[in-house]
Amino acid sequence: MAHLSDTVWQMLEGSTVTFEIFCVTLVLALPLGVLASLGRLSAFRPVSLLMELYVWLMRGTPLMLQLLFVYFALPMVGIRLPDMAAALLAFTLNYAAYFAEIFRAGLEAVPKGQYEAAKTLGMSYPQTMRRIILPQVIRIVLPPVSNETINLVKDTSLIYILAMNDLLRVARTIVQREFDMTPFLIAGLFYLAMTFVLTWMFKRLEAHYGKYDN
Amino acid sequence: MANTTTDAVMLRMTAIRKSFDALPVLKGIDLAVRCGEVLAIIGPSGSGKSTLLRCANRLESIDSGTIEVVGKTLAKTQGTRAVYAAPEKSREILAHMGMVFQQFNLFPHMTVMENLIEAPMQVKGMKREEILPYASELLEKVGLTGRADSYPAQLSGGQQQRVAIARALAMQPDIMLFDEPTSALDPELTGEVLRTMRELAAEHMTMLVVTHEMAFAREAASHVIFMADGHIVEQGEPKTFFEHPKEERTRAFLQNML
Repeated sequence: MAHLSDTVWQMLEGSTVTFEIFCVTLVLALPLGVLASLGRLSAFRPVSLLMELYVWLMRGTPLMLQLLFVYFALPMVGIRLPDMAAALLAFTLNYAAYFAEIFRAGLEAVPKGQYEAAKTLGMSYPQTMRRIILPQVIRIVLPPVSNETINLVKDTSLIYILAMNDLLRVARTIVQREFDMTPFLIAGLFYLAMTFVLTWMFKRLEAHYGKYDN
Repeated sequence: MANTTTDAVMLRMTAIRKSFDALPVLKGIDLAVRCGEVLAIIGPSGSGKSTLLRCANRLESIDSGTIEVVGKTLAKTQGTRAVYAAPEKSREILAHMGMVFQQFNLFPHMTVMENLIEAPMQVKGMKREEILPYASELLEKVGLTGRADSYPAQLSGGQQQRVAIARALAMQPDIMLFDEPTSALDPELTGEVLRTMRELAAEHMTMLVVTHEMAFAREAASHVIFMADGHIVEQGEPKTFFEHPKEERTRAFLQNML
């Protein structure tokens, strides 16, 4: 049994890497996604085109390829990032693009009449966005954001190709060393636990933001 | 708030022209609304009446013409195009007008009371306690005391529209614009909204009302404008207008409405 607890201990360490990537990516990609969606909806053509191109590139190529690019190709042009930073850069850029599309849909779903009502009441654009539009957008985008967030938990496992010791890589190392499949089962349980907590949190958020919807 | 009928012109629109892309919607409109007057604007759909109202408070920009609100110039033709007052000045001028929409446009994520106090707090920087008594008074006026903590989705259409009227009044405008305020309502709910508007008119609020409610125009308006194809076809006192319409176009329209 001492052996099993040892395994679980090593995997907990691996899951801190997973958890770090997850948290930092989320914290950076969400606001970046908001900015990108506003850029995408901008009446200034060059900005909206640039954002469209960005979203197309990020969604049109595999995240794995983007990771490899940041990790191996950027150093060739003199940009050498620490492992963690490289992974975070790729994850953040990728996820911000997906979030941008979600937020764009959310912004477009708020009726024009809401902007007009705020305007006739004398509210400025920033006031209108902060007080009237964004609270409604949040409600609309919570389910798809919840989806993407759960995807992110699992996508973190892609960093095994960068030789970083995340949860899955630790599990695989133990499996290969000891010919015992238990670490894979434990890893599965770890991922399930993380997504379970997230699902619960998003349910609470949806209930909170949906309270007026009856 | 304006409380007496005087000769002061509250809103003057002169030679208003407006096109959507290449389609002309307003082809030279002139109107003046005096303090305490209720101007009813009627006409077939597509006649430009809603656009005219939306031009008054800059939800749409005019191509050319002049808009003056309580003597201040909001827009004026310079050369061939209308030029608007600077943003700060514009905002100040627009604050004289409140608007009620066909689709109510209440903020769905806020309670009735929050809908009322949001703009006074955000725009005027008033404190919650400062605005609450007046907001409660307004709710009582529109007959919705007791619904302060409801969300818009919990109210009927008629109740929502009355909240929308109270919300606009909370900013203490001098002129109220109504854009087909009862068109989205079930027939049995229009009465309560029209009653609220009549009360407002009785208090000498200056009002512009785009409406299909002929009874309201006839009884509550002080002046009626009939629009068709981007022109004012006929206008006058309600009594004369409805009983002795001069233009063939007006007669045909009124025939259809009754």
